[in-house]
Amino acid sequence: MNGGVADDLARLLAERRTEMAPIDAGRMRRERHGRLQAELARQGVEAALLLHGPNVGYATGEEVRGVDVSYATFERPVALVVAGEDRPHLLAHHEDQTLDVERHPAAWPELDEGAEDLASVLAEVVGPVAGRRVAVDEQTGAMLRAGVLDGAEIADAAHLVGAAKLAKTDDELACIAEAQRRNEDAMAAIQGTARVGATRSQVAGAFLARLIELGVESNLIDPIFQPMPRTVTDGPRTTTKTVAFPTGVGDPTFGEGDLIWVDSGIDHLGYASDFGRTWVVGRDPDAAERGLFERWCDVMVAVLEVLKPGATAAELCRAAEAATGGDRPWLPHFYLAHGVGVESAEMPLVGTDLGPEFDDRLVMAPGMVLVLEPVIWADGVGGYRAEEIVAVTQDGWRHLGGGHPYPPFG
Amino acid sequence: MATVGLDVLVLGRRDSVAYATGARSLWTAGSRPFGPACVLVAAARSVHLLSTWDEGVPREVPFEHLYGVTWNGAILAGALAAIPGLATAMRVAVEALSPGFERMALRLAPAAELVPADDLMRAVRALKLPAEVARIRAAAAVVGAAMEAAGAALAGDAGPVAARSAAWEAAAGMGVTAPTSGVAVWPAEPASGSRFHVDVGFLVDGYEGGLGRTLPGSDDHAPVVAAQRRLVEACRPGATAADLRSAAPGGATRWCVRGSGMGFETPVLSATLGRGEVIEEHMVLSVELELDGLRRRDLVTVGSETTDVL
Repeated sequence: MNGGVADDLARLLAERRTEMAPIDAGRMRRERHGRLQAELARQGVEAALLLHGPNVGYATGEEVRGVDVSYATFERPVALVVAGEDRPHLLAHHEDQTLDVERHPAAWPELDEGAEDLASVLAEVVGPVAGRRVAVDEQTGAMLRAGVLDGAEIADAAHLVGAAKLAKTDDELACIAEAQRRNEDAMAAIQGTARVGATRSQVAGAFLARLIELGVESNLIDPIFQPMPRTVTDGPRTTTKTVAFPTGVGDPTFGEGDLIWVDSGIDHLGYASDFGRTWVVGRDPDAAERGLFERWCDVMVAVLEVLKPGATAAELCRAAEAATGGDRPWLPHFYLAHGVGVESAEMPLVGTDLGPEFDDRLVMAPGMVLVLEPVIWADGVGGYRAEEIVAVTQDGWRHLGGGHPYPPFG
Repeated sequence: MATVGLDVLVLGRRDSVAYATGARSLWTAGSRPFGPACVLVAAARSVHLLSTWDEGVPREVPFEHLYGVTWNGAILAGALAAIPGLATAMRVAVEALSPGFERMALRLAPAAELVPADDLMRAVRALKLPAEVARIRAAAAVVGAAMEAAGAALAGDAGPVAARSAAWEAAAGMGVTAPTSGVAVWPAEPASGSRFHVDVGFLVDGYEGGLGRTLPGSDDHAPVVAAQRRLVEACRPGATAADLRSAAPGGATRWCVRGSGMGFETPVLSATLGRGEVIEEHMVLSVELELDGLRRRDLVTVGSETTDVL
């Protein structure tokens, strides 16, 4: 290690990396159903019709597929959760026979004929929707044309699922930790491929192949290995006048001394990982680059020292700013930290453009998950960015993941 | 937009935005909640795009027309309100609708009628330009190489995991790491475990290549090859789902014909879907058939004289 603050951070994370109980997927789904039912009751909603993949997965356990948006949309499963019922309805191809759901044929709600099928299931399960409060996350054009929810008092299912999933169960935390551990293992195996002359796609290909060998079924994001400019003006023009990341465009060839920002996310039982590191190609980091990393460690330690139930997002932001002498050490279009779960970024969002009043009101509670992703930028030197996932506990926090180091920095 | 009398079109999906603007962006898996990722205004012929940077944004979209990623609905509403022509729009079309965007749209364009435009986008996208067919051909070459790599792994008895891994590495070797359907390898003969269905779908410069085979060796199996040829030949301008049902062999476990372009597209015709759909010249279709435990999927172009496998 580097000594000093990098060692302090590694020790801090290791101390809070407690053993996870084995995942019980059935219990996890039952507990999520219970939380959705509680939210239906609290928000006065009679039924929730869910089309957005992560929402369907949360409600039913239907598997996440690492496919393009067009496939995910046309072949989408649909969930229907009815207040007072003991299990959800799932309209899908039913490849997983272990799910405890009321099964219905796949509906194809993107197609006019499919929207009519969906309306039939809704009528059969819920009865006429007119005058009743029904939550939905998204309606397809075909559903609008077919008037599937005509006359219903429509509530936003994003609020329903958002409230239910804000604090995670132990099984959910274990899924995130396992996703992160596998993601880290794959990165550890392929970091050596990021050599001078390698392309982004070659390194990404090695990573994706390794994931498959590790038994990972779904990759969630085209793996990012983005060589960063050393000054903001050398990079793409941005609306924030800060550095552009992650652009996900092009297939750069790595050169000696390139500072590569790495970001990836995979799925495990419906839960996302979020891996972030900074690599240097073909040489050790120089003193200025090491300085960026050490300041990043300073910010991490400072934030983790104040993280506990009852702390506000604003307090986390202030701790991060104090550690850098007042600069906001994160990308302005993102956050100091974001939640992760069935979505790769979800609440709680800390330090976003939702503003300081929002951060003042956002109070940490047990079961909340934070992906801390501070960024240290020094124009002319470049930037250091990495990510760690922690979960808020009854008395502080725990580290989710395997304790992946920070080579070549530490 | 002019033909159907739309003042504003709001798109949310990455593939729709790419079609309308040419913008390239980071690939992520799965569905996204609907949000205004792109706004097209008919009167000004202007395109406004949700992007924090100009990387991947074509020159036709000026920097001033970018609105950055935001978590704050009020900031987003402010950015949209500044788009000339939105506030006075009478017909605003959306490709899907979330409760949140419906509320926002009604505030931003108070006089407007909100109408679905997924059908408009699909109709436009279904008929491919020659340049699009050229992109799809290039994508077909990538999936061909990926299939070959999977086949070599299976022929060498390396197993389905190694076959998937090899297919991904082959695509990555050609600079491609974004899937459409990705690489699936599953047993064709669960009892013996000697044959596998392999299906490959990758996104190459925004367009999809797709290919399905049963390996090792379904090419030596005349009945499925002949049946797939009949199904492909039935994909003629004017053909309906009923025509394809007649062409599909009675013993087929499954068949599906659907649009392919910037991913999964319409029309979708199968044993149960496709009411009212008609195949037209210039469509590119994914034609899939499974018969006697052997499966084939090919991309085909529908021409005036012939339907050709890519």
